[in-house]
Amino acid sequence: MKMLPATMRFCIYLFLLPFFCCFFSCVNLKTVSDFSATSLVSVNNFEQIDYTFSDHCIDRCEDEAIKKFEFQRALACSCDLYLAADSVTQVMFQAIGGYFHGLGSLAQNELTTYTTDAVVNSLTAAELGPLRIDENLAGAYAAVSNVMLRATTDLYRRRKIAAYIGEANEPMQVLLSSWQVIIRTNLKGELRFKKERLYAYYMDMKMNSTLQSDYEKGSAAGDYYRALREIQRQEKQMDLFAEGLGEIAKGHQVLYENRNKLSVKNLAVTMLGYSGQVKILVSEFNKLNQ
Amino acid sequence: MANLTSEQANRLSDDFFYLSMAIADFRYAHWESLTLEENKELSEMQGALLRCGEDILAFSTTLVMDEAAESLSKISSITEEIRGSVKTLSAIQKGLNTAAAFLILGVAIVKRDPMAIGNSIKDLFMTWKGNPE
Repeated sequence: MKMLPATMRFCIYLFLLPFFCCFFSCVNLKTVSDFSATSLVSVNNFEQIDYTFSDHCIDRCEDEAIKKFEFQRALACSCDLYLAADSVTQVMFQAIGGYFHGLGSLAQNELTTYTTDAVVNSLTAAELGPLRIDENLAGAYAAVSNVMLRATTDLYRRRKIAAYIGEANEPMQVLLSSWQVIIRTNLKGELRFKKERLYAYYMDMKMNSTLQSDYEKGSAAGDYYRALREIQRQEKQMDLFAEGLGEIAKGHQVLYENRNKLSVKNLAVTMLGYSGQVKILVSEFNKLNQ
Repeated sequence: MANLTSEQANRLSDDFFYLSMAIADFRYAHWESLTLEENKELSEMQGALLRCGEDILAFSTTLVMDEAAESLSKISSITEEIRGSVKTLSAIQKGLNTAAAFLILGVAIVKRDPMAIGNSIKDLFMTWKGNPE
């Protein structure tokens, strides 16, 4: 078979290399990158939950002062225990958010998209003196070296990502599950006490026959149900957030189980399911804040 | 004596909650037959039980932290490693830019142009140090 001219062969390699590169790296890393980004959005919603342990402590303090018809120049509440509980949720938020932020940064393709313009420009500079390199040739070599560099670094990234997911899965499952319990059982549990205190306040008012006119009674009942609805909205926020954490945990488990075959196309499809579920929960959560 | 776990603490908090609820239901069911004093005492007990249950829930959160301490430390160290890898990959671009700056410096040296050499060294320094990660 007649050999192709060197320039043409070079052009064919140049044409094919990006395909090989993308085939072996971009698609797989995109799965991890997309999942990390979606997980991070969901984790960041923690800051949108408009209730903390400290808020609960202050609310309780105010409710008790209101019940006793007590006035203080500045409400003095002892909330150390609740501040400690908030610091725990903050640590969880920072640790889990930090991990997904790092994983997402490592998996995003922009990280290894290098520009060789500076090198090409300096190679083809007119001031180079006796050494003259053709501009087109320099550009072509730079493009090839860029693709090779990308392929090498993507291979490095894929290996590293697989190792990190492997190491992180067990502690991540523990942390995500612990955070889920804190939000769904502990923080939401505080709201259950708030509801009970609210119920007792209005029931005492009713039983004591404090309210006389129908208007006063109607207003009190309206106030009660409005306050109850607000608490229920916060409970729903917490449920959706906690459910999101559960989906993230499941998605990470799937990544872990397939960490050595990240190139399998089915994995991308499976992960889309988890990312999609997290996105739905994020969207529902955001609707509650509107 | 074994330490209290977060799960046990949550169950205790539940007990306090349901006890407080039962007292409330009892008060409202026997409102007419209770004396003012009895009603006040029960109301205070109801409030105290609620407070205890809430405090236990907050305390239980700190117990979760103790239980997850090892996992937290592992994730923090893995995150640090990931950041290191990201930094390594970002540094490649810096290397490419530095190589270009070196080439320009080389040209200036070949041409024996003191001003260009001075500028190139400045550019090289800026490329290397100017945009820290």
